[in-house]
Amino acid sequence: MTEQTDTPRDDDVLAAELVLGLPSEKDLLEGRRRMATDSEFASRVVFWQERLSAMTDDINPVKPPARVKKKLLAQVFPKTRVSVLQRVWLWQGVSMVSVLFAGYLGVQLLEMNTRPDAQPTVLAAQLGSDTSALQVLAVVEPVKHEIALRRISGEVLPNRVFELWAILPDQAPVSLGVLPDSETVRVLVPEALRSQAAEITLAISDEPIGGSPTGAPTGAVLAAGEMKEL
Amino acid sequence: MALSLEKVAPGAGHLGEWYWYFSQTEKQPLQSDRTEIENLIARVAMKDRVAFDQLYDRVSAKLFGVCLRVLNKRAAAEDAMQDTFVKIWKNADRYSANGLSPMTWLITIARNTSIDRLRARKKGHQDIDTPGFELVAPGLNPEQAVVASSEASRLSGCLDTLEEDRAKAIRGAYLDGETYADLADRFGVPLNTMRTWLRRGLIALRECMSQ
Repeated sequence: MTEQTDTPRDDDVLAAELVLGLPSEKDLLEGRRRMATDSEFASRVVFWQERLSAMTDDINPVKPPARVKKKLLAQVFPKTRVSVLQRVWLWQGVSMVSVLFAGYLGVQLLEMNTRPDAQPTVLAAQLGSDTSALQVLAVVEPVKHEIALRRISGEVLPNRVFELWAILPDQAPVSLGVLPDSETVRVLVPEALRSQAAEITLAISDEPIGGSPTGAPTGAVLAAGEMKEL
Repeated sequence: MALSLEKVAPGAGHLGEWYWYFSQTEKQPLQSDRTEIENLIARVAMKDRVAFDQLYDRVSAKLFGVCLRVLNKRAAAEDAMQDTFVKIWKNADRYSANGLSPMTWLITIARNTSIDRLRARKKGHQDIDTPGFELVAPGLNPEQAVVASSEASRLSGCLDTLEEDRAKAIRGAYLDGETYADLADRFGVPLNTMRTWLRRGLIALRECMSQ
């Protein structure tokens, strides 16, 4: 970096001002644009964030009252106790395709319930997020160990792919592979995960063509959802 | 219609031992703090509720301390911390790309959320936004991030080498959300003088920390 001590501000100072929250509105916009497009500048922002956050090192931890956690969890995970069919219904939102699908699933459940010796547990997940249009329904077929996926909405970006991940509690995500760009797809559940299928959280991340180069998700998580028993 | 799902779960006798997700709350032995918190954030990004619960238990006291330090009022700090964790839940998937160490990312969210609340009391308030939620240029590779985050502990020693007022101004901006106008007021100097002071302070700080 060239030193420009005679000018009032260089890039590095802008990066520090961004972290401190000091720039004018115009500089703030410029700073955000630079962060998104200029990796050298972005690394200067990281440099300052890391160093300036050391000012909190001598702030002592204070245990928050239990009610804060209670309120937080109620806000983040609102409780919805509904029947199976209602749940199927709620899942689908308002799209006609989805409603038909819900009806279909309902019929399947009824058929299974009429079989005397069968105790079917259907595992399914709705994958979505607040920040992406991608919505996918997943249903596990226990005998074939397959997950049937249906994309309700959301498009893959040009030159990018969707990669599907299975996550078990306390474990790193396991890739179930890159998804083809089709509305429905079936994916085999790896043998190691089968006995814990009910605990799987499925997630779809945005990855370069060919899938994550690292074996772990590298792009944004576009949709995720836990398995639930229907 | 639904052609690919024509055989949904026909019979499933072997499912009896499957158990519900929320029954799993036992904690794993701790690895290093950084790895542990990083793993929790990665799982929260995948919408793992158990991980979110564990992350709260692990870091809420530190973050509450930060919120209290900035806002100085318990009720406001409680609200800010709740808000902080809602943001963590919604944005955890942005963590892996931003190159920050996990505690810095979490503390930055808590600090910025608190300062936004503090400034909201004032007229003409403008959110400072939360670096870390922004899209970051894709070129920021792990090595750059490691360089950027290494030896961060030098800060306090370097702050001590600055002229006292400049160090106070930098602390005031970071911990009390003071703007250039606030600082100019507090130190009784013109706005432009304040800018020059603080920018020179930052340059001196960088030189000290880069040695």
